[in-house]
Formats: sequence, structure tokens, C-alpha cells
Amino acid sequence: MKWKERGIYLLSLLISIVLGLGVGALLMLATGHDPIEGYTAMVNGALGSKWDADTILKNSELGNTLYRSTLLIITGLATAVASDAGLFNVGGQGQMCLGALVGAYLGAELTTILPFTAGWPVWLLIVVCFLAATLAGAIYALIPALMKVRLNISEVVSTILLNSVALTFCTYMSNGPLKAQGKGTQTAAILKDLEFTRFFKPSNLSQAVFIAAGMALVVWYLMSRTTFGYEMRMAGRNSRFAKFSGLKASTLAVTGMVISGALCGALGMLEVFGWKHRYAVDLSTDFYWDGMLVAMIMRYKPLGIILMSFFFGILKSGAIRMQSSTGISPELIQVIQAIIIFFMAAEQGMILRFRTWRARRHPQHEEVISA
Amino acid sequence: MNAFQFSDLISFSSLMSTLGTATIVILAGLGCLMTEKAGMMNIGLDGIITGSGFVAAVVSWAADSWALGLLAALATGLILGLFYGVMVIRLKSDEFVIGVTLNMFLIALSTFLYRSLPAEANGLHVTEGTGMPIPKISLSMGSSNPINISILVPVALILVAVCQVFLYRTRHGFWLRAAGEHPESLQSVGRSPAKMKYMASLACGAFCGMAGAYLLNYVDGFSEGFSASRGYIAVACVIFGRSNPLLVTLAALFFGLVDTVGQRLQVFGVVDSNLTAAFPYAGTILMMIVLAVYNKARKPKRKAETAEAVK
Repeated sequence: MKWKERGIYLLSLLISIVLGLGVGALLMLATGHDPIEGYTAMVNGALGSKWDADTILKNSELGNTLYRSTLLIITGLATAVASDAGLFNVGGQGQMCLGALVGAYLGAELTTILPFTAGWPVWLLIVVCFLAATLAGAIYALIPALMKVRLNISEVVSTILLNSVALTFCTYMSNGPLKAQGKGTQTAAILKDLEFTRFFKPSNLSQAVFIAAGMALVVWYLMSRTTFGYEMRMAGRNSRFAKFSGLKASTLAVTGMVISGALCGALGMLEVFGWKHRYAVDLSTDFYWDGMLVAMIMRYKPLGIILMSFFFGILKSGAIRMQSSTGISPELIQVIQAIIIFFMAAEQGMILRFRTWRARRHPQHEEVISA
Repeated sequence: MNAFQFSDLISFSSLMSTLGTATIVILAGLGCLMTEKAGMMNIGLDGIITGSGFVAAVVSWAADSWALGLLAALATGLILGLFYGVMVIRLKSDEFVIGVTLNMFLIALSTFLYRSLPAEANGLHVTEGTGMPIPKISLSMGSSNPINISILVPVALILVAVCQVFLYRTRHGFWLRAAGEHPESLQSVGRSPAKMKYMASLACGAFCGMAGAYLLNYVDGFSEGFSASRGYIAVACVIFGRSNPLLVTLAALFFGLVDTVGQRLQVFGVVDSNLTAAFPYAGTILMMIVLAVYNKARKPKRKAETAEAVK
């Protein structure tokens, strides 16, 4: 039965993706573009042309796709951890912004504000910045989590509002107290030694990808291979049952949310150290939404999120080429993602309706409903 | 620039400005509370506002008529409300997932379509010549200059009263609340809870459609993601207004006040403009916390229950 369920799930996922891409094609037609041309540009823009052994490291398109996929994996997993614990973290964008701001500030000023760190090795400085950014994200996620378990205030609403607060706060800081001399709205650059090495130049992929992969591995292990992950899932699904099993559902929920925020904060810092080297307003943090959509599509399953992130990484990174060569706006990808979610969300209801209908016509299938 | 005085904050023009920004939240909040009463909270308000605002902008530009634009916004809202209803009621999807996805879907779609519009339609971001200006009424109070407000502002206030009467004084309102609180008992008297839920969902769409048309008018045209999380502020207002139309309106007015104070402080250069932009959001969060703490202190008996309930 389990395999049958999985088969149905994979089949409906495939159908949803095809339908989503189909609607995307219709939208391209409606706005006067050739869908085949659009999707071809997308695939070329995502995978690049240099695939030989000696030139593959110069394949910046591939590098950018991997970079995008990493972002999606971490944000998707962050959503999934919180959802497993029963809370819906919509505030990843704000947590990421704060993490990036803290990381950028410490990366530039740590040796100045704390002179005794000046002699420390580079890796230790990076670890300090990483932990500080993680902490910033975690604390910012702790606020809505506590509001939820103590005061029963919907975390969906509070995290969304906290997003706006964090974004405006970071803009204020990078345009006011932390503004770099003579520059636009951005903070000072981090120390040269702290910058991560980049590969697949000129893509945005850097050593940060290994740290991100490590984070993904830890989260996957935590969620699907430990007692803690199991308890968290149980508490998230049915807090009353968890209570009677002797678990503290509220503590587990807060923990899930804090881990989620920590991941986002860390990702913000990795963005700064691997790519921008400073906090600037154009540091894109809105991909948190894309990661959230991926997590929703895969029903918060860690392994599924990791695999699906590569698919959407291709779409996201190819969308840039699609825009430059055909003029199709990259928002189309979000539209396609949302349509896939709508189909996936409707899928269970449709299957249930189909089974009820079939059971009514052929009573021998009755057991399918009860199973 | 004049010196900053607190009396500026409590002038007639501040009051009207408060009402002006609050109207979007009031309208969206009325829609949201309808669905909340019917037992499924629609948090896709931002998406519906943006989507219907976009349609209103295009239609009013093409037809050169604000009335058609408003009608188009209402129709878009109704269609989206129906879509939400079908997804949540008939196909039993998770209401939060659908709401959040609806937001992202419509904001992305309207941005995509907006960018694909022909060049001559780029005038959508200015009011002049788009045909959208909804007629305004002019109000003056004593010596101050007359202030123009959109006719949708009084309409919204009337709708608050209508909703209040509908929910608590009519049979249908009673059934609608029963569909949320106790669907089985509604079923047992031969009424369909699903029908009431659809009604609430459609009402939510229409209210948000109107909010979209009003917002289009209020901010002088469509821009990408122009609802700026106001839909979520409306959801917050519904939560601490406990879904009572009058209380939700009061909460929305409070939001409008915070927004106005922020804008005024910015005009007088007291606080950095990047910080005042955070006022409405931070204010809403603080208001939620204060109210929740107050409610908790008032009902010590239910304290244990609330603390335990994670979901």
C-alpha cells in the first residue's frame, strides 16, 4: 500500500509539473512570446554549454544553477523543520536579512570592536560570524514562536509582519549607522581574508556551498533519523497526542521554529561572505518564498525538497537568460510554482472524490476508502 | 520646514488620513472576518487585493471609466473568492497553504502581466488619464482646508455596519457563524454548511476586490506588489478584533493612526524615513501582544488551555 501511495504521489507530482509548465507556456503565448523559444532559453541559461572535463569549471551557468539550488534547499528545509514542529515559518526573509546584516557587520568590524580577535585565524573569525548570524536568525524566529505558544497569536501573521520590520530595519541600518563612507545604501565590505573562494566564475557559487550542504545534511539527519525529529513531527501533527505521550509540544514547536530561523540567519551570512561581501539593499532575500513553495510542493519531506530544489534551481537560474534573450519576465517561474502547488493541494481532495465516486459505482472497491 | 508639533498629529487632516489608509484594512478585514466566522480563515487577502487592483487598473485604463474598473475589481475578487472556496471547501486543501500560495501566485502573476503590457499602458502608474480616479467627496471642518476623500471611504464604513447587522441580526448571518462554530448542528437543521462557507468566501473576494480598487486609487496607480502586506495587517486586525466587525474596524483605525503618525514624523524629519516605514508593522505586532496579554490576564481560567494549545 505504501508503495502504491508513493506511486500515486509521484504520478500526480509529475502531472502537476507538466500542467504548471503548460500554463506557463500559455502565459507566454498570451503575452506574445514563443513558449518553445522561452523554455529552450531557460534550459540553455541554466545548464550552459561547457560540459567537457577541462572547461566545466568555467561553466558559470551551471555554477549559478547549483548556487540557486543550494539557496532553495536551505530555505526549503528551514520551512520544513518549522512545519514539522507544527508552526508555519513565513518569516524566513526577515531572519535571513538580519543574519546577513549581522554577518556583514562582524565580518567588517569584528577585529576593530574586539581587538583581541585580531590575531585569531581566519577560520575562527568565520565561525564567530557564522554563529552570530545564526543566533540573530534564531532569536528573530523565537519571538513569533513564543507569541504563538504563550499568547496563541498566529505565527503566519506575526512572521509576515516581522519580515517587513526586519527589512526596513536593515535598510535603515545600512543607510544610517552602518553605512559605508561615500557609498549607496550598503555597509562596509568584509575583510578580504574572510571572503569565500568562488568557483565556476563568474557565477555566484562559492565555498559557502559546502557549508550549506553540511547544514542540509545535519537537518535531514535530524528530521528523519533521530528521536528528536520524530518527536517534533509527532508534536506538530497532533499536539494533544504528543501531550499524552509525555512530550512538551510547545517546547518542540519553539525548537523547530528556532532551528528554522537559525538556518535562515546562517544562509544570510553565507550570502554575504560568498557573494556580496557586504550587506546591501539589493541582496536578494526574497528567494525564501521560492524555497517555501518547494517545501510545500514536496509536503515538507527533506529528501524530496533537496531533489526538487535542483529542478527549481534550473527554472530559477534559467529564468534570467530567458528574460535577457526573450524578454519574458522571471516572475513566470513563481507563477508556475504556485500553480504546481495548487494542483498538488487539490490532488488529495480529487483522489478522495474519485474514490468515493468509484466506490459508489463499484462497491467491491469500498475497502480502498477505509484503507 | 515647520517645527514638529504634536498638535499636528491630532488635526482634522490627520484624522482623514488615518481613515484613508485604514479603509483598505477595514475592507480587507471585513472579508477576512467573514471567512473566519465561517470556519476557514482566508489569508490570501494580499493576493486578491493585488490581483483585483491590477485588473481594475487595466480595465479602467482600457475603458476609461472608473465604474467599469471598480466592477472589474469586484468581479475578479468574486472569481478568486470562488477559487479559494473550491480549493478549501470542495477539495479540502489546507487553508493556510492555499492562502499563502494565492498571495504569491497573484502578486507574481500581476507583476508578470504588468511587465508584459504594451508600452503605452505604462501610464498605469500615474492617475492622470487612466480613468481610475474614483469620485471624491470634499469635506471641510472649520478653518482647515477641504479634504477630498474617496466615496469608497463612507461606503466601507456603511459596510461595517451592514456586516455587523448581517452577522448578528439576520438568519443568514447566524447560519454563517454556525457553519464555522458547529457545522453539524447547522446540517441537522437542514442547512448546508458548505453553502454558507462558499458565501463567506465569495464575500471575502468581493470585499478584497473593492479594497484593491480603493488601493489603486489611494496610491495613485498600480505598482508591483503594491498591497505591501496590508492584507496581512488586516488578518492581524481580524485576529485581535476577535472577528467582530466593529472591533476589527477599531483595530484597522489604530493601524491607520500608527501609519499616519509615522508619515507625519517623517515629514517633520524627526525620525528617519526608513524607520517610520516599519511603524505600521511593528505597531500591529505590539498591539497584538498587548491585547493577547490583556486577554490572558483577564481570563486566568483559560490560561492553562491557551498555554498548552500549540495549534
